[in-house]
Amino acid sequence: MSAITAARPARRSSRRLSRRRIVDVLSHAYIWLCLIVFVLPFMVLLLYSFTGPGGTYAIQNFQYVLGSFRENLLWSFGISAATLLISALISLPAAYAIVRYGFRGKRTLFSALTLPLYVPGAVIGISLLLTYNFTYHLTTSPIGLVMAMVVGTFPLMLTPIVVAMKDLPLVYEEAAACLGATKWQAYRKIVFPLIGPGLSAGLMLTFIIVFNEYLVTLFVHPPGLVTAPLRIFNLVRTAGLLPTTAALAVTMQLISFAAVILFFRVFGTRYLKGTYLI
Amino acid sequence: MATDQLAIARPITTLPPEIRQRERRSRLTMAAMLAPAVLVAVAFMAYPLLFILQMSFTEGSSYLSIHGPTWTIDNYLAMFGRYLPNLFVTLELATLAMLVDLVFGFPFAYILVRKVRYRTLVRGFMVFPMFGALYIAFGLRFILLPGGPATPLLQALGLSGTQALYSLPTVVFAMAIFTFPFMVMNIGTALSNVDPTLEEAAACLGARPTQTLRRILLPLTRAGTVAGMLMVFGWSIGTFAEPLLLGSIQEQRALAWTLYQRGVVQNDYGLATTMGIVLLVIAFVVSWGSLRYSRGALVD
Repeated sequence: MSAITAARPARRSSRRLSRRRIVDVLSHAYIWLCLIVFVLPFMVLLLYSFTGPGGTYAIQNFQYVLGSFRENLLWSFGISAATLLISALISLPAAYAIVRYGFRGKRTLFSALTLPLYVPGAVIGISLLLTYNFTYHLTTSPIGLVMAMVVGTFPLMLTPIVVAMKDLPLVYEEAAACLGATKWQAYRKIVFPLIGPGLSAGLMLTFIIVFNEYLVTLFVHPPGLVTAPLRIFNLVRTAGLLPTTAALAVTMQLISFAAVILFFRVFGTRYLKGTYLI
Repeated sequence: MATDQLAIARPITTLPPEIRQRERRSRLTMAAMLAPAVLVAVAFMAYPLLFILQMSFTEGSSYLSIHGPTWTIDNYLAMFGRYLPNLFVTLELATLAMLVDLVFGFPFAYILVRKVRYRTLVRGFMVFPMFGALYIAFGLRFILLPGGPATPLLQALGLSGTQALYSLPTVVFAMAIFTFPFMVMNIGTALSNVDPTLEEAAACLGARPTQTLRRILLPLTRAGTVAGMLMVFGWSIGTFAEPLLLGSIQEQRALAWTLYQRGVVQNDYGLATTMGIVLLVIAFVVSWGSLRYSRGALVD
């Protein structure tokens, strides 16, 4: 009798344990399945970029990327760099004003400034194309393309900086002021270094979006200026699938991934909260 | 800053002139700091959107004509007449992508928040879809092409040739991969605010897992889930590369692609801008709902 009562709970708990373990295994398997689906497009492009008309042509394909697509890659880097610079220059003072000054309609202003994130790319494209054509006459200049990128992505720069500014206690600036620093000195020597992680988060987010942007570029790119993602789009649409195009796509994704990993290693993910990514 | 707050607390009329002057100067500084951002937003976002709103009431490319634009509402009649199927296809694709994301995203977010310790690794994998729908569409197109890696699988399923490539499920699948991280992020944030002891308490009181889900988890994460669904919907509404590269003629009628065809290829600015306005209105309404539901605003 006593043996039975002792044995039964043990068996039941072991059965429950094994069931829980099965659930655990299934859960982790599900996560991994999803992760595989996420990287599947990248992985097949990577494999495809190693192939050629009969054999392994990996080196030739990537040489082709650096040769034939060099101009496109350089344009992508140039447009991204210009966008990052302008975006940072307009976001830093705006974030400071939004966090440190009190004024009526602050929330409304911030929401209005983040609205561009929610405008579909095709709508940004057509509206800028038409205004460039009829009002600004920017159709043939790279400035038009850069401004299109800036306006579509600067909320991504603004939001992490605002988060970092809000985390920064006022006392540092007050101490600097007490010690005789001007506002500009306090900003340059105290605030700017301390919001570095927020600014870096903004730079990273803006970079991975602008560097891979093809849709707005398709609408407003000046004749002759073809960025790498736009080249991929055009080639996939018209030339069918080529291993060299896959190699270019792989290169773009690897560069973007390197930017993300670098950021994760240096700053972690703390400053990406608040933004709509990650 | 502290002195400014003190100054505001006192009645304005009794302020000494030098404090008033400082107040005025600080206001000017603030305006100067906000000016570049506001100017860029007005010149390159607000004005162009108002411009296409105006243009959507002109006929074809008559805005260019030397006799001045011809004002008409025919574009909107066409939009909600001849082009209504295009709108429906767009909404259908966005809705399906949203539902797929919800069904697969909720368990993913739950497991991620409650069981997974290698979260950094998961984050690293999850940035790949964010690099753009273009690469996803390109990759899937290559997988599904006749002779591609998935050919044996497709043959086993009884699909031949390009039957799988140019189809609705493929487009929805690609769109869902692209927007999956947004859904997981929203639901995950909501879930991590739910105390795990609530689930344990429910289990102790004899609730089955489905009951716990329906009575505890879903109500407590409703805000995040709804915000995520709306966000995914708003993002999917402007889908461009996926229907074009993976869809049949039916899916290629998605509004953003039609807009490009009409506006850039055929120069029918009136109709293209009308489609743009319709897309914009849908995206704004949905995003507004999403922001209202999501956890607190950033600035207060």
